[in-house]
Amino acid sequence: MKPGKIRLGRYTSIVIFGVIIALPLLYLLSGSLMSYKDIVQYPPRLLPSSPQWDNFVQAFNYLTPQTIGNSFVFVGGVLIIQLGICLPAGFALSKIPFRWATPVFALFLVPLFMPTNLILIPTYIVTFKLGLIGTFFGMILPVAGQASIGVLLFRQFFAGLPNGLIEAARIDGANWWQVFTRIALPLAKPIIAAYSVVTFLTAWNLYIWPLLSGPGVGTRVLTVALAPLAGGKFSSISPSISFAAAVISMLPVLIVFIVFQKWFTKGVAGSGLE
Amino acid sequence: MKTRTRYSKLDAFTAWSFLTPALILFIVFIVIPTIAGIVLSFFSWNFFNEPKFVGLNNFAKLFNDPSAWSSLGVTMEFIVLGVIPTTIIGFMLAVLVSANMPAVGAIRVLYFIPVVLSVAVSAVLWVFLYDPRQGPIAAAFRAVGIQIPNILQTQSTAVPALVVMMVWLALPIVIILYLAALQRVPDDIYAAAALDGAGAWRTLWSMTWPNVLPTTLIVAVLQVINFASSSLDVSLIMTNGGPLNASRSLGLYSYQEAFTHQDVGYASVLSVLQLVVIVAIVVVGRAVTSRSSK
Repeated sequence: MKPGKIRLGRYTSIVIFGVIIALPLLYLLSGSLMSYKDIVQYPPRLLPSSPQWDNFVQAFNYLTPQTIGNSFVFVGGVLIIQLGICLPAGFALSKIPFRWATPVFALFLVPLFMPTNLILIPTYIVTFKLGLIGTFFGMILPVAGQASIGVLLFRQFFAGLPNGLIEAARIDGANWWQVFTRIALPLAKPIIAAYSVVTFLTAWNLYIWPLLSGPGVGTRVLTVALAPLAGGKFSSISPSISFAAAVISMLPVLIVFIVFQKWFTKGVAGSGLE
Repeated sequence: MKTRTRYSKLDAFTAWSFLTPALILFIVFIVIPTIAGIVLSFFSWNFFNEPKFVGLNNFAKLFNDPSAWSSLGVTMEFIVLGVIPTTIIGFMLAVLVSANMPAVGAIRVLYFIPVVLSVAVSAVLWVFLYDPRQGPIAAAFRAVGIQIPNILQTQSTAVPALVVMMVWLALPIVIILYLAALQRVPDDIYAAAALDGAGAWRTLWSMTWPNVLPTTLIVAVLQVINFASSSLDVSLIMTNGGPLNASRSLGLYSYQEAFTHQDVGYASVLSVLQLVVIVAIVVVGRAVTSRSSK
């Protein structure tokens, strides 16, 4: 066989398998624009006969603009607090000489492979005892507290910075805070970007914890508002309107993912390496 | 004074102040709940009364509770049906798209895209795909003259149907991890394999696969955790554990015991059992793979 033929064969399979994997998602996008008649038609159709943008208007009967805002508050809070706590912790554990660095780092690593669903109930109890159930703080802080991966990732990154760079600054009279903010943080921009994209996606898609900690209208996020549409609790709603609601709630992450895809793959690959 | 006083006090103070915010949140919301979860498994508590120490009563209840063991079976079903296909398919697709050819980088996005879906979004989609009257899967079967049952509401097919969706959701992460690993495999092993006249299939399994074994271990551990853990979200949204508890995993059973029956002690025991299962699978899995790789 000629190399050209192998290449063509490989291209074809790459495209075919890619389309198979993306097909359900493409169908979701297409179905969100179908009329009820289109989507239940037999045999099934792949594209709408004419785009029904009205589905998106109707979807807002189930997802209010406030739920979208709530999702951004929740995710933004998780992201800011995670960066705010993990970056200095990772820096201290790798660059500031002190006796307890190793045991403290080990403590952070203990739950690395523990599914958070295992401590769902006691986390709920702690949050409840703190009087935070039903508040954004109650939703955000326990998720932000899952610092293991962040601390690990940033510690590895800062450990890789040359010590000479930091010693030079220290000799020039810079304190640790200045070394951290003026030297370490600017160099860490790529890894901060990668970690942020992964954290944004993960937090945006969380379901159980926001359901337990903030189910009320004032704090309800998109996943919590959307899930009842899948469970058949609104059997009268047209599938295409459910699809439109699903597309609305996924659109921000889809955009973030497409724009920052490079950072996302770096972030995932980085957190899986250690 | 010993030599270790070379640590400066100011440095230590600074280090602790850098660590304090992370430590506070980590201890309050991870360490304390972890300990509380274990302690509560020895108590009887319904969220409202005074917690009462009951020794091993909750564990005794576990052994006489057929529902617990069938939930354990469901958790195992999620893990066994999910982890191996996710790992193997993810590996093969990663090799496929690792091709260093023009435009492949752009096509890869098709493989990564399911990663943006939450379980909730995915559930809306797949509940319709599986719908026995209107869904496209049933329609495809009808086209060849087969009438399929309501997949999500049939005991034997509910978990496999949920697993298919979960594999689909998990593939992007697995592909990304393998792609990173494949970049570190030295190119000359392929040249050597080609000289030996090894075919593509043999090269894949006897050259590429052993070279990414460390990644396979990480992928497998992450996926055991993923399938054990996210079976809770998936079945809570899509089947509520039904039909007849056929898709009620340990996670969902524990959730129901806590938040529906207010039996916090027993719910904690079920969480502990889930942890034991996951740790056992990971330990056994590691032992088996490290022996077979020798």
